[in-house]
Amino acid sequence: MPTPTDLLQGTLDLLILQTLALEPMHGWGIAQRIQQVSCAVLQVSQGSLYPALYRLEYKGWIKSEWGNSESNRRAKFYKLTAAGRKQLEAERASWDRLSTAIGLILGNTVEVPS
Amino acid sequence: MIVEFSTWLRYFLFRKSRKELDDEIQFHLEQLIAAKKTAGISEPEARRQALIEFGSVDAARERCEQQRPGWWAGIAAQDFRYVLRGTLHNPIYSIAVVVTLMLGIGSCSAVFTVVDKILFRPLPYGDTGRLVSVGLVAPIEPQEFMLGGSYYEWQDNQKPFVAMTSETGVEPCDLTELNAIRLDCANVENNFLPTLGVTPVVGRNFLPSEDRPNAPKVALISYALWRTRFNRDPTIAGKIIRIDGNATEIVGVLPQNFEMPRLQAADVLLPESLDVAAQRRADPGRPLWAFARLKAGVTPEQAKAQLEPLFEYSLRLAPAPFRKEVHYAVRPLRDRQFHDVHRVAWILLGLVMAVLLIACANVASLLTARGAGRQHETAVRIALGASRLRLLQVAILESLVLAATGVLAALLLAEGLLHVFVAIAPDGMPFLSAAKIDTRVLVFTLSIGLLFTFAFGLMNGLSRTPASVLTSHSRLGMRRARLRQVLVTAQIAASLVLLAGGALLTRSFWNLQRQNLGMNDENVVTATLSLGQTAYPTPERQMAFYEQLQHNLRWGPGVNALALSDSLPPGGYHHDQIFASLRIEGQPRYTSGTGGNVAWRWVTPEYFRTLNIPLIEGSGFTDNELASANRYVVISRSLAERMFPGQDSVGRQVHLASGAPADQDPPYTVVGVAGDVKNGGLAAGEEPEYYRLRRNRPEDWDRGAVVLVKSGLPAASEERWMREQVAALDPTLPIEQGTLQERIAKLADQPRFEMLLVGYFACIGLVLAIIGLYGVTSFLMVQRKPEVGIRMALGASKGDIVRMVLASAMRMVLPGTIAGLTLALGMSQTLSSVLFKVGAHDAATFCGSTMLLIAVTVVASLIPAIAATQVDPITTLRID
Repeated sequence: MPTPTDLLQGTLDLLILQTLALEPMHGWGIAQRIQQVSCAVLQVSQGSLYPALYRLEYKGWIKSEWGNSESNRRAKFYKLTAAGRKQLEAERASWDRLSTAIGLILGNTVEVPS
Repeated sequence: MIVEFSTWLRYFLFRKSRKELDDEIQFHLEQLIAAKKTAGISEPEARRQALIEFGSVDAARERCEQQRPGWWAGIAAQDFRYVLRGTLHNPIYSIAVVVTLMLGIGSCSAVFTVVDKILFRPLPYGDTGRLVSVGLVAPIEPQEFMLGGSYYEWQDNQKPFVAMTSETGVEPCDLTELNAIRLDCANVENNFLPTLGVTPVVGRNFLPSEDRPNAPKVALISYALWRTRFNRDPTIAGKIIRIDGNATEIVGVLPQNFEMPRLQAADVLLPESLDVAAQRRADPGRPLWAFARLKAGVTPEQAKAQLEPLFEYSLRLAPAPFRKEVHYAVRPLRDRQFHDVHRVAWILLGLVMAVLLIACANVASLLTARGAGRQHETAVRIALGASRLRLLQVAILESLVLAATGVLAALLLAEGLLHVFVAIAPDGMPFLSAAKIDTRVLVFTLSIGLLFTFAFGLMNGLSRTPASVLTSHSRLGMRRARLRQVLVTAQIAASLVLLAGGALLTRSFWNLQRQNLGMNDENVVTATLSLGQTAYPTPERQMAFYEQLQHNLRWGPGVNALALSDSLPPGGYHHDQIFASLRIEGQPRYTSGTGGNVAWRWVTPEYFRTLNIPLIEGSGFTDNELASANRYVVISRSLAERMFPGQDSVGRQVHLASGAPADQDPPYTVVGVAGDVKNGGLAAGEEPEYYRLRRNRPEDWDRGAVVLVKSGLPAASEERWMREQVAALDPTLPIEQGTLQERIAKLADQPRFEMLLVGYFACIGLVLAIIGLYGVTSFLMVQRKPEVGIRMALGASKGDIVRMVLASAMRMVLPGTIAGLTLALGMSQTLSSVLFKVGAHDAATFCGSTMLLIAVTVVASLIPAIAATQVDPITTLRID
């Protein structure tokens, strides 16, 4: 079964940035949030979540710091940086453009009488 | 941007601690387990499921690490260290590859640079592809020339050319002003520059009205003369200078890169000012050299066909004896310029291509052998999880390291070789000293290096290494081993061809050096003089100078004999005429053809003593003849045998210009027969020769002379003394000095050059073949190591093993030798024109080369054979 990242390269980055835009969160929380919000359609595998988080951090779009989780356990929290916010805007815009374009094409094919 | 870059840089330089990620993953797992427990799964089961769900922690860790900005560089550095270690660990392979690349690419670059200057040099004319040299050819002058009696007829009636032009040669002339200097003045037709497509940089070309007899004198000067003498005066056009005492107007300056089509040095261009009407009537007319520009689309061959009727016309003018021997030619100007060196250039290019091919085959064979030798190691790496890409990267990096070293060494070698080439090249190879390793050669070298890198990197990186290598005897590589054996066989064949060629040329050169010239060239010092037109305008003045010089030199220190002539054997310029123009008094002329060429020189009486040429009959020239009004001649033995077979020749009367009017064909009395002296160059045959006496009469003298001194002093001090004596008479007179032996050595320059080049390539070919054979034999030994182990365990002696390895080497060497011999025998025929007194199929040479090759290859395969016997059977058997 294809994972979400297999479907569209870079989509995971967008989802993580969007999730972090609401509040700082740890890796587990991010995975859970994406799963919940997408009504369990999107499952983020741990094998791709952490490389993605590291990639984003290396690019300077998110920052990490250690804090305490809800269960009062030490956890690493990620938070969006200013650069990350700008990146999120850009990725959103390009995603909107892409999905509109795909929507148009799919819409057109529907109109063709079969 | 700045934030992102600084973050990138921070993480490039410092890696995050490993514990940070471990803690994070641990936290994730705990959350996962907690979630499962909440869903009612027991603790151990929840942990189990969580671990399964999470997947490999190591893989996650690795993928996180891969995100780091410096990851790629770290990997590359690691690979580089690995490659370097491998390269240094196995120095023989690495050195063999680098040396092969160095020899192959380096020689190729050097030779390409040289050949480029000869074959592909841009000529300084417009649209040079259409410029041709046109004219008659005859045995007496094998390069195209024209005669005034025909030239204008051709120029008027030719069809294939846009324009046809001529020059009448270059002569020394004097710029007779303050600080008089000797110059070279070329005489050209007024359409000379337009036909070549050259425009003066200052001023204008000659006008047709200026190219007539008795027209006002005008001149075009060379760029160099304009710069040095006239300080680049932009208003030079219209200035009057005096050339040989005549007021001459400078009408223009030639471009900086201008050169005469026959490459003579020229400082001044003058109109040839021929009397066209007189030339048309003349027979044969003035010799001149013609050049033409082809009409678009016409080839030299077509042009030649179209000129046929005009050639017929010229043939009718030619004296009967010449008709059979005169032909005509139209060929590209470039071919004419490099008449002599063309062949050398192509031989060189062929040689270097052969060497480059051998080198490529070598590197291919060495590197695949190395790859095969490391199959075990590669299989281990794959088993430990190395990706294909990573292995490919290592393979390419490895060939990059080797290629970079090889190319660097190659460039150094090329630079060195070029210096050697320039140093040993004969004078006849123009522009060689200007040869430099330029950008094109650099690009060529580097691209070969890159090509090599990727071709062999990919070849090694992509070859599949199955894990079975780890567990069993592998037959892998045996198929490619066959290909390598074929390559080595081909290399051996090619190097035998080179070796045989080199040996033939060496023997030929040896013969050339040791031949009997018919004279003694030891302790003879020469000085060539040419008197100026202005200071010595008449033969009387010229004779007076030379008489005085002889008088001053006669009793000088160390002078054992002194003679003056106008030219010197064994090569270079001398007078030539056809045998048919000689006639014995009272006998009819020789009528069947020209009878070939006869050489002759002007000499003074002591010429024969100075050069130690024996007088076989008669007493030669003496002082009696020197003062006589009669004319005397000494003939060579071969001429005597031809003219007076079986008879005495001394005292007979001969005519030397029969066919000319009687007043120009006086009788000469033969006063001696001299031994034959080599006179057609070192390699060419000898022509019959005669000597005319320079008497004390102005008619026997002209501007030029060669002074010969048989000296008892060291050459250098004798030369200095002669120079002083000449300068005492005329300090402005240019003098060209050298011993006779130096002059003769110069004649051998071209064969020496050819011998050294072919010899050099033969050595390189041999070295490469040895490397190739060695590489393949050692590769086969690696392949057969277990087999050797088993054989030795079963009781084979070391001798048996060596015999086995040698036998497998000989299976490559023998077919290679046979193929090489066949090829060499077939191809040596092309060398026969440059071989001197050694047959193209000389048995000794071919046997010697073959023995040498076999001996060397045996040694090359003995080394891995002996190494194979060092194998401890227990170790090889235990591997598996």
